Order: sequence, then C-alpha cells, then structure tokens
Amino acid sequence: MSNSNHTPGREWRRAPARRRVWLFCFLATLAVSAAQAATRVEVRDASIALDDGVYELDARLDLSVPGGARRAIDAGLTLRLNYQIEIGRVRRYLPDPEVASIVQSFELSYHALSQRYLVRNLNTGEQFDHGSLDAALERVAEVRGLPLIDSSLLEPGPTYEFRVRAEIDMRTAPDALNWLLFWTDDWSAISEWYAWTHRP
Amino acid sequence: MDAPSLKRAASAVVIGFGGLLWLAAILFMAQTAQNSEQFSRLHPWILMINVAGLVVLVGLLATKLGQLVRDWRGHVIGSRLKARMVWIFGVLATLPILLVYFFAVQFLNRGIDSWFNVEIRQSLDDALVLSRSALETRMREQLESTEAIADELSMVGGPTPGPLERLRRQAGALELIVSTESGAVIAVSKGPSSEVVPDEVPSEVLLQVRQGRPFVSLEPQAEGGYVVRTAVPLSGAASGRGRMVLQAIYPVAERLGALADTVQAAYQQFGEKDFLRKPLKASFILTLTVVLLLSLLAAWYGAIFTAQRLVQPIQDLVKGTRAVAQGDLDLRLPLTSHDEMGFLVHSFNDMTRRLRRAREDQQSAQQAAETERANLAIILARLSTGVVSLEPDLRVRTANRAASMILGEDLEGCVGNRFAEVGSADGLLRQFSEACRARIAAGDVEWREQFTFQGGMGRRVLMCACTPLPREDEAAGGYVLVFDDITVMLQAQREAAWGEVARRLAHEIKNPLTPIRLSAERMRHKLLPSMNEKDAQLLDRGTETIVQQVEAMKEMVNAFSEYARAPRFEMARVNLNQLLTEVTDLYRAQATGRGVALKVSLDPSLSSVSADPGRLRQLLHNLLTNAVEALEGQPGGEISVTTRLGARGAEEVAEITVEDNGPGFQRELIGQVFDPYVTTKARGTGLGLAIVRKIVEEHGGHVEADNRAQGGARVRIELPLNESMQGQAVQRDARRPEPRRERA
Repeated sequence: MSNSNHTPGREWRRAPARRRVWLFCFLATLAVSAAQAATRVEVRDASIALDDGVYELDARLDLSVPGGARRAIDAGLTLRLNYQIEIGRVRRYLPDPEVASIVQSFELSYHALSQRYLVRNLNTGEQFDHGSLDAALERVAEVRGLPLIDSSLLEPGPTYEFRVRAEIDMRTAPDALNWLLFWTDDWSAISEWYAWTHRP
Repeated sequence: MDAPSLKRAASAVVIGFGGLLWLAAILFMAQTAQNSEQFSRLHPWILMINVAGLVVLVGLLATKLGQLVRDWRGHVIGSRLKARMVWIFGVLATLPILLVYFFAVQFLNRGIDSWFNVEIRQSLDDALVLSRSALETRMREQLESTEAIADELSMVGGPTPGPLERLRRQAGALELIVSTESGAVIAVSKGPSSEVVPDEVPSEVLLQVRQGRPFVSLEPQAEGGYVVRTAVPLSGAASGRGRMVLQAIYPVAERLGALADTVQAAYQQFGEKDFLRKPLKASFILTLTVVLLLSLLAAWYGAIFTAQRLVQPIQDLVKGTRAVAQGDLDLRLPLTSHDEMGFLVHSFNDMTRRLRRAREDQQSAQQAAETERANLAIILARLSTGVVSLEPDLRVRTANRAASMILGEDLEGCVGNRFAEVGSADGLLRQFSEACRARIAAGDVEWREQFTFQGGMGRRVLMCACTPLPREDEAAGGYVLVFDDITVMLQAQREAAWGEVARRLAHEIKNPLTPIRLSAERMRHKLLPSMNEKDAQLLDRGTETIVQQVEAMKEMVNAFSEYARAPRFEMARVNLNQLLTEVTDLYRAQATGRGVALKVSLDPSLSSVSADPGRLRQLLHNLLTNAVEALEGQPGGEISVTTRLGARGAEEVAEITVEDNGPGFQRELIGQVFDPYVTTKARGTGLGLAIVRKIVEEHGGHVEADNRAQGGARVRIELPLNESMQGQAVQRDARRPEPRRERA
C-alpha cells in the first residue's frame, strides 16, 4: 500500500503541465534552430572618408550563411549581395530629401572546374577567386574605399545622413526557376539600416 | 429590392470578385514565373490570395455542408435529394480532378527525375574530371616550369631583371613576380598582354608557399578564359635576401579554355537544377495541390450551389403542396427559371390560383346557400303551417315551431328520434305520427289527406301533405310533412253557414208565425162559440197546439236570431268574481231545489277584466243551465265553479272552470260540442255551448270542453286580462257582422 498522498487527479493535472514544458522546449528548440538555419546579415560598422574630393565608404558586415545555402552555392547557385547606400539631407521640419542612392552588388559563385569560389563586383566587373567559401564570404563582407559622392555635391553647413544596409538573395541561373527559392526563404536576408550623420 | 435579393446579389458579387481574384492570381503566378523580379515581389500576395481563397472556400463549404447535415438530420424537405445530388456532382467532379492530379504528380516526378538522369550526372562528372585532368597535366607542367625558373634564379644570384625576362619568355608565362614572403614585390617580368600594374601575390598563395608547399591553381578570368597561377619558394641566400616567393602566371590555350568553360557552364547549370530538383518537385506539387484543392473545393461548393438551385424549386413545390393541403391557396412560388422546372412552378401557381378561385366561388355559393337556408329557417319558424322533415328511416330531421304548436308537444326537441316514438301516448302528436307512418309504410310517399284526431282538447282536423325529398342517387332522401290545423277554419265555415241558416230562418220562418198564430186565435174566436162541444174541444186543442207550436218556433227562431245577431259590445271593467257570485246566487236556489250542490271557489287575486258584462252573464247562464240540466234527476249532483289567475303563454288569463259530476259529454261528440245544433238533450236547441264559444272568442279568449277523469263534464274558459288582446278580438268580431247584414 502506498503512503504517497498524490492522487490520480493531481497526476492528471500535472500531466498537461509537463506536456506544456516539453512543448515549450520543443518550440524553443525549433525557433533556435530556425534562427540558426536562417541566413543573417548585419552591418557591423560603416564610415566614410574624404579622399581626393570624393567621399568613400568603408563598411563591414556580419554574415552568417547556413549549411543549406552553402550547399546551394556549391551546387551552382549564385549568391548576390547588395550594398544599398543612401545619402539624405537632414532637415528639422521638412521631409529629408534624398541626395544620392548607390547600390553596390557582388555575386558569389562556385567554379567547379577550378574548384574556386568566384567573387564578382557587378559594378566594376572585377572578379576575385578564393579557395574557400569562407574566404570568398570574407571578401564580399567588407567594402573598402567605395566611392560614394563627390564632396562638391554636399553643401557645407547642413547635416547629411548616410545609411547603409545589405541584402542577400540567392539566385539561379535561369530566372524561371528562381521562384522555387521562395519555398526556401531562409536563403534570403536583409539587414537593418546602419545610419550616421555627417556635416561637411 | 427585398433583403433576400440584396443578399443574393451581394453574395454573387463577392463570389464573383473572389473567383476573378483567384483566377487572376493563378494566371499571374504562371506569368510571373517567367519574371523573377516581379515574382519575388508579388508571389507572397499571390500565395496569400490563394490561401485566403482556400480558407474562404473551406469556410463556405463547411458552412454549407453543416447546413446540409442539419437539414438531413432535421428531415427538411428536399435535404435528401440535395445531399444525393451534391454527392453525385461532387464525386463526378472529384474523380477527374483526382485522376488529373495523380497523373500530373506522376508526370512531374518522372519528368523532373528524367531531367536529372543519373547517366547525365555521371557524364557531366566524367567530363568535369576529364577537363580537370587535362588542365591539371598542364598545370603540373607549368608548376615544374616555375620550379625550374626558381632553381635557375637561385643559381644566377637572385631575381635580376635580365634573367627574369629571359626565363619568362622561355617558359611562355604571362607574368613573373618575385616577392618576399610577406608579399612585397621584388622583381616583376610581364608580357605585353599583361596589365601594367601587376596584382599583388594573394595572401593564400603566400601562406601556402611559406608552409613550403608549391601553389598551383586554375583561375577563371572575368573576361573569359583561364590562367594558371603557380608559386614556389625561392631561395635568397645568394642575394642575401632570405626566402622569397616566385609566382608565375601562365595562359591557358583559348581553345582549351572555351571547352573548359562549356563543361563548367553545363556542370554548373546541371548542378544547380539538380540541387533544385526536390524544391522544384515540391513547389510544383504544392502549387498543383493548392490549385487542385481550390478546384476541388470550388467544385464541391459549385455542386452544393447547383444542387441548391436545382432542389430549391422542388422544395418550394413541396412546401407549396403542403400549404395547399392545409388550405393555404394564397401561396405563390417564386419563378426562378424559365426551363421545365419553371414551367412546373408556373403550372403550380396557376393551379393554386384556379383552386382559390374555385374555393371562392364555392364559398360564395355556400354562403348564398346558408343565407337561403337561414331565410328558409326564419320562414319556417314564422310559418303557421307545420313542417316536419323525416329521414328515410323515419327519424325526425327537422321540425318548425308551428309543428310543435299545432301538435301541442315539443317536436323540435325530438330531432333525431324515431317519428313513431315521439309524443305521449294517445296524444295528438302520436296520432299524427302513426297516421303518417301508416301512409308511408303503405308505400304511398306523396299524398295529401285530411286527418281528424281526438285529443284532450277536443277534435282536431289537420290537413297534411307528404312529399318525398330527392337525393342525388334518386333514392328516397326522406320525407317532408306539411300540415295545418284547419279545425278553426272548418269551425268558422260551419259558424258562417249556421249564421246564414239562422238569418234565413229568422227571416223566412219568423214572419209567417205571427199570421199563423193570429189566424188560429181568430179562427178559435170566431168558430168556437158556434161549434158543438165536441168540435169546440177539438178546435180549442187544435188552435191551442198551433199557438204553442208557433210560440215554440218563435222561441227557436229568436234563439237563432240571437246566435246570428251582430254583437254589440258595451265593454266595461268587470269584476269576474263578483259577476260569478251574482249569477251563481240566482241558480243556487234552483239547484238546491233539484238536489244539486253548487260550489263556488273564487281566486281573490283575480283582478277585473275588460268585458261586456251582459255577454259574460249570458255565458255563465248557458254553462250553469247546461250543468243543472245535465244533473237533473241525478242524486248527489254537484256543480263546481272555479276562478283562477292563470297564464297562456306569456299572457295572463282569467280561468273560469265549470264542472259537474254528471254523465259528461259523449266521447264521439266531444270535439263538436261547441258546434250549433249538437246536443244530447231532448229539448235543447244545441246553441248553448255554441253561443258560449262565440262569446269567449269575441272576448279574445279560449274555451275547452272535456270530460273529467272521475266522471262529469268540464268546461274551461280563459279570458285574457290584457285589454289589447281583447280589443283586437272585439274589433275583429265587430267587423264581421257588416257583410252578414248586407247578405241578410
């Protein structure tokens, strides 16, 4: 005979609570896995420098490309990384007018014959090859001395806001099949705007 | 527009808009698949529209199916037919869709799998390996060439420009760069096709060479083609610079590069598609499934909608039929279509309209018949003629009030009883029913006959006619008896006849009586003294007899004259009790002398009546004379005179009853005792009771004569206390003598 004072009714009440804990853990694991599995991109830092009358951008990204996307690149899909840069004049009471807008695009693909990862600057046509995907990602995650705007276009006195964000998109060679990637949405990502002001 | 029409119109608009949106989404999805930029922008919306359509359809379908199940369970009219039609339509729509879906999925799987056939994959892999092997042989040779250059440079004492340029040309390299292990360029030799500013030695090259391993790689060029990059360590001991790195870049033959590009492009595209095979299949199947589900749900919803549209007129017809069965003929079914079902609904509406018109006509006819019947009932009720209708089995069907009054019993309360059993035994009603029943039982269904019955109130003469009532099957539908009490009429006719006789007697007989008497007296006066005693005695007896008979005839003629004389009323308030007392006092001595006891019992509550006291006195004289004469010679004779305040219907009457314990009326004459010249006395004129009845009727009263149960005669007189009744009778009788006098 058991001298335990717990009753079947109490057990019955405990069972759903236990199930709820397990369910919470399962959902949390799923959420963490999903967060880890998804492609992430953030602007770690960005700044401008005046060089020979031209404002140039230095920016660095934190890139996280999951295994699925890596396998997709190795299989032949192309990863596109766009730097979207906007320059606007800051006004107190009126809407801020946009002064300039630049998009710097890179494509990263795998060359199976040479077993090299190719990084192609779509704006300049330059191409770099790397022996590993990480080296190639490292290459596209950093921009140095990207010319933005001539200093003469920015009036001295007013404050200007510079904003940078990055967008990753997985593309296929035939665009007709690109819509399939909709179903694997973890391959696309877009960062928050990284903004700072500058007064010439 | 009414609310249901608005609801239907709104539903049609919403469904139509949703359907168009969904169709547009499907078509747009197919079109945007060719344009990736548009597709990526619009695809979420397209998918959302499809999913929303799916959810809406599921909701609508669930609602409709739930309603259908509720109708089925509730045994709603038409629910079973609707469910059967939905099932048939749904199955007919589902089977082809499922078949198409099955074969489409099979086709997709097999088709896509066939694109990525293993043999193709293997061929591409082999081509890639082959290409790579061909290039690697070239790369190895060029690495060896670079190592030879490095050895020679070590021997000549370092990377001086002269030997470097010579060695580059000998090796056929595009570019030779000597750098430190950290990447600083020491010497460069470039061919004419190379860039003016040489690239830095990549860090990964430096890293590998620092580790003591030569570096060689095939590098695709942005503008197309390939180069082979090689790097080897270079000893700097001879020049005193330490370890260095020699990088050499060799061109790849254009033809070989083009072939390699072809293989690379094919391999990349195949790899890309092979990688996308599963998502491709999943996407196709998912899209197909979404479209199929939408189509399937739309088909089921369409099946329910169509079944509803088809069943609705049938439901309306069933409801209409039930309404008509319950008598509601005002129902009009909505005409929803102009096909055969619409024709049926139109016919139903036409039928109900005709039925309603027929019912209205019937109601009008019935109302007219009811009115006629009510009028007939009123006429029958007011009719003085008795009307009795009998069932074929001789049960009383109807009887009017006059029948009850004539027959003296409540015949209206005997409806449904057998005609032979109605009324009291020996009553007038029973005699009447037996007489009629005997005629009908004899097979005589249409006849007219005068019946004479003996009732407690005297002789009654009824004129009766019988007619069979027709029926639809022409069998006897019963009988109707129409009868009238003609006793009074016959009495009046007799009275009129006797009055005429009396007047003629008075006129024709009375006039010669006086000359006869005078002639007899004169003959006696003239001849008697001259005649012998014997003749004188004869003449005296003869003339005496003549005179006596003439006197007797004169009295008789006077009596006739009195009977026929026109009444001259002198109406006054008469205390009936006092009048009776006076008259009976006159007869008390006479009666006592004859051994007859005269008892008088008067009701003190009896008020005075309006009457001619002289006529009333004569009436009493006649009655008392008759009673005294009836008791003549009978020991223990007794005459009783009684007054009482009574009622006849709603009228108050004064009752005078004169009874004796004599022999009474002869039974066969009891109905004629008030007729003139009906008497059982040897010396009576037979006018006593006739005059009594005449006086009573002149006063608006009623007289009856019958025999007492214990023996003796009884005459009962009712005189109305209401002056108006008397007045009417007096006026009626006052008008009567005028033509008599004219005729006289």
